Amino acid sequence: MKREQFGRGSTLNYIIALAAIFALNFILPRLMPGDPLHAIYGDEALVAMTPEMERSLIREFALDRSWIDQLQAYLMGLSHFDLGYSYYYKDQVSSVIMGALPWTLLLTGLALVIATALGIILGIESGYRRGELLDRCIVASLMFLSGFPDFFIGILLLLLFGVALGIAPLSGAITPYAGLEGFGYLEDVIGHLALPLSSLVLVQLGGIYLLTRNTIVSLMGESFILTAKAKGCSEFSIKYSHAGRNSLLPVTTATGLRIPHLLTGALFIEIIFSYPGVGSVLNTALNARDYPLIQGILLLITVAVLTANLIVDLLYSRLDPRVRYAH
Amino acid sequence: MHIRPFRDLINDRIALSGLSMLALISFMAIFAPVLSDYSPYDYTGQIFSPPSAHHPLGTDSMGQDIWSRLLYGARTSLFVAFAVAILSSALSLFIGATSALLGGIYERFWMRVVDAMISIPTIIVMILVAAYLRPSILLLIILMSLFSWPGGARIVRSQVLSLKERMHVSAARTFGADWKHILINHITPDLAPIIIAMMIQDARRAVFMEAGLAFLGVSDPMMISWGKMMQQALAFTYLNVWEWWLVPTGLALSLTLVGLSFIGFGLEAAMDPRLQKYKQRRVD
Repeated sequence: MKREQFGRGSTLNYIIALAAIFALNFILPRLMPGDPLHAIYGDEALVAMTPEMERSLIREFALDRSWIDQLQAYLMGLSHFDLGYSYYYKDQVSSVIMGALPWTLLLTGLALVIATALGIILGIESGYRRGELLDRCIVASLMFLSGFPDFFIGILLLLLFGVALGIAPLSGAITPYAGLEGFGYLEDVIGHLALPLSSLVLVQLGGIYLLTRNTIVSLMGESFILTAKAKGCSEFSIKYSHAGRNSLLPVTTATGLRIPHLLTGALFIEIIFSYPGVGSVLNTALNARDYPLIQGILLLITVAVLTANLIVDLLYSRLDPRVRYAH
Repeated sequence: MHIRPFRDLINDRIALSGLSMLALISFMAIFAPVLSDYSPYDYTGQIFSPPSAHHPLGTDSMGQDIWSRLLYGARTSLFVAFAVAILSSALSLFIGATSALLGGIYERFWMRVVDAMISIPTIIVMILVAAYLRPSILLLIILMSLFSWPGGARIVRSQVLSLKERMHVSAARTFGADWKHILINHITPDLAPIIIAMMIQDARRAVFMEAGLAFLGVSDPMMISWGKMMQQALAFTYLNVWEWWLVPTGLALSLTLVGLSFIGFGLEAAMDPRLQKYKQRRVD
């Protein structure tokens, strides 16, 4: 169903989507009752603001002029990566986000790689043995797991390993003021990363696994597998070079489509473990009603998701020549 | 080959366990006033009291009875799930079916809208909108429905496109049936399993999103919500209250979500003849 759209006009779809998001970001604060400056910056920020600052901000957002001028001012700001000023952090929104981004990228990047690799291997192995005890056990447990909400898996791991057993740190990404260097620092980072990373991998694993397994199950009935068996290919070669390779296509697409889920999952997981990434900053911003920061973070995630999906679309036509030749 | 998904669903162990999980949660929601003596809003006079005969799950940091909040939370979750499923699938059905039947520029317009909306990460947009509006339960339902119909609309459209070319539809036309008759008697019955699967997916997403937004603290603070309870409880992990506050709430939410997923899996397996073929072979 999605196939027919690929390659043709998919870039246009993303441009429309992006424009819609920009429009939403622009319109929402201006739709709110009362003074738009209050809605753009939040009530708390206004308390700290002097009348001169208010006037200069009104000029900057062109709030005293028509909405076309306001839109122009908004878009000009965006084109300079100017996302506004966070009154809670007393810093530019872009630099607050940049400070938190490395931790989020570390967490989500590793989770994506581990979950995909593990999901594909488990999926191939269990699809190859469909109906056996091992297969049924993995299917049942991962189906059960994939139904769990992301944040509850994180909470369970935190309670089990952090609170009840006390073998993992409860929060943060490094031990503060420990002054560790070299290997000790790396160990500290890995120790703090272990629980959030495992929660995120567990959340992501189910979907990738089930898709790979179902693809392998339907591939096993194909005649090229029979040919491979007949000509005496090793079991490993049948599993990975024949069936596994052909299952990569849907799995790649699905992995790309999982990126929004991965990012929102990371938001929740970071909040639970107080991991100092973008998710924790978003949580702080939501509680402090720091609207420029909320907008900045959500805009960044949206752009990341749209870019990732566009890349998957383009990659898909590379991976599957049929899509390319069809148009 | 004719598939009867609903008959297969009853014989499917996964779907059955999903149905029973959902039945349990529904039971809690329907009989909430009978199952608990306390109102979920009332201050009981004691904060953080451990489980006792009066309070099966103790009381929380506001001195409210956790068990009764858990029961009424089930009402919120299921109401949101049900309402979003109905509203969103009605939108999907209407836009998908009219696109397929009318075609032309109308179809191209809606499919463009669907494609653009599908690429937007729904939960991110919902967080943004909720951060400004702090939506009440009704607004939340409307917003979620507005964002979740496009996937279903595309599925309905492609189904209707293929259904209207089927042999039995052509046969009906040669006998002089008009489009209304064909739509009601030939196309809709074949669409039913897909619409049910769509509704279950919508319901699952709605339960998760409502809990997620409440967990982030951006929904109506007066609403009794499992997500909100988990957010409040998470602040007290240093006390042992999580044993009867955080964990039961999380389990109730998970049970609802897993139940809906399992029904979804069961339906998917029942509708996919390839997965079914191997299953029957195994049973033999």
